[in-house]
Amino acid sequence: MNEINQTVTEADLHAYADGRLPEQARARIEAWLNDNPDDAAKVAEWSTQNAEIRSLFAPYERSADGDAALVTGSRQPANWPKRLAAAAVVIVVFGLGAVSGYYGSTLFEKPDLQLTELETLPNEARNAFLIYAGEVRHPVEVFADEEAHLATWLGKRLAIQNLRVPNLQELAFKLVGGRLLPVDGRPGAMFMYEDQAGERLTVLVGRNANNGSTSFRFASSGNVETFYWIDGELGYAVTGEVKRDVLRKVAEECYRQFPS
Amino acid sequence: MKTPGQDSFEGKILALLPSLRRYSRSLTRSDADGEDLLQDCVEKVLARRGQWRGLNLRGWVLTIMTNLYRNGRRQTGRAPFVELVSSEDIVSMDPPPDPLEHSRLEDALNSLSEQSRSVLMLVVVEGYTYQEVATALDIPIGTVMSRLSRARQRIGERMKADNVITLRRPK
Repeated sequence: MNEINQTVTEADLHAYADGRLPEQARARIEAWLNDNPDDAAKVAEWSTQNAEIRSLFAPYERSADGDAALVTGSRQPANWPKRLAAAAVVIVVFGLGAVSGYYGSTLFEKPDLQLTELETLPNEARNAFLIYAGEVRHPVEVFADEEAHLATWLGKRLAIQNLRVPNLQELAFKLVGGRLLPVDGRPGAMFMYEDQAGERLTVLVGRNANNGSTSFRFASSGNVETFYWIDGELGYAVTGEVKRDVLRKVAEECYRQFPS
Repeated sequence: MKTPGQDSFEGKILALLPSLRRYSRSLTRSDADGEDLLQDCVEKVLARRGQWRGLNLRGWVLTIMTNLYRNGRRQTGRAPFVELVSSEDIVSMDPPPDPLEHSRLEDALNSLSEQSRSVLMLVVVEGYTYQEVATALDIPIGTVMSRLSRARQRIGERMKADNVITLRRPK
């Protein structure tokens, strides 16, 4: 084994197979491959994969008859841009909370309660996220341009006075809108938010049968993560496929903004 | 039907459509799914044109498409190991030289997670550097490398496993 070549990493091998290395580095890797047949076989396999994948999809790089209509929007109903406003932070509120200033301390300091709602809340939040965050044209019933109506309507259905829709602009998530949906068999609310790249979050709010409160809890399923908590008569869940620390910031911001 | 001017936003998107079509198909399991993703992406891009900062339009659009793809896969409930589409669904003027091999490759690609698949396709099909992938998907470059590595390993395993079945244990 050549000492000079001892620093060849797997990343170098990928970069070699992908043709991403300058000439000098290529020569170094080639010398390494001469002495390391296993790595040489790996690189050969990757190169073959690359060529086959490119050949598989190359024929799709073509124009189609409807392309001009597609970009001029003539295929779409007239009001489509508005309906596309798409962001998905869904907030599920679990029930109306008699949550006045009693809970002054942060959620993380609160004692945990064992409540049956705790089991259903993250699942329902996750399901709502899976169903609605993927919707391109109808992610919500009421879009953000009617935010006041959205708050009044959902507040009425959940019997929450002065329901406010959390503002997550500081975390770079814009409101897409919201919808009514069943949470634990009762009317619940979902708010959806979206960042600039189209990544969505949802915030669910639902009624909680037992008055009580919990700390933030965390549930993860696949890549979908949920923060949830119960605050008095309401349960909340923030769900998304984003980094956990981002989601936690969103959860804390929602907690801060929801009426208590 | 009116044709958008070359310098208009629509005209620029129109010029990108062939390569966007290739990328959307490389992420999906069928021609129909590829066209759906492409159309959803164009709708979204037109609706958000105000957010484009005037640089690297293609990169901006590919990132939006990748996010749409990941959102859409959630909706279908994640069935990463189901192989849905075979070579007869490929409508192409130039049929691949070895339809069987291409069909097996598609099956192997369909077994990837959407995260690995998007990284692999950005690198292999779209020619992104690893750093460009990291930036586009907002993930660390180490994550790019590990997803790329996982994708290649899995494809290799699938292709080899299929060989074993074909050669030694025909059904």
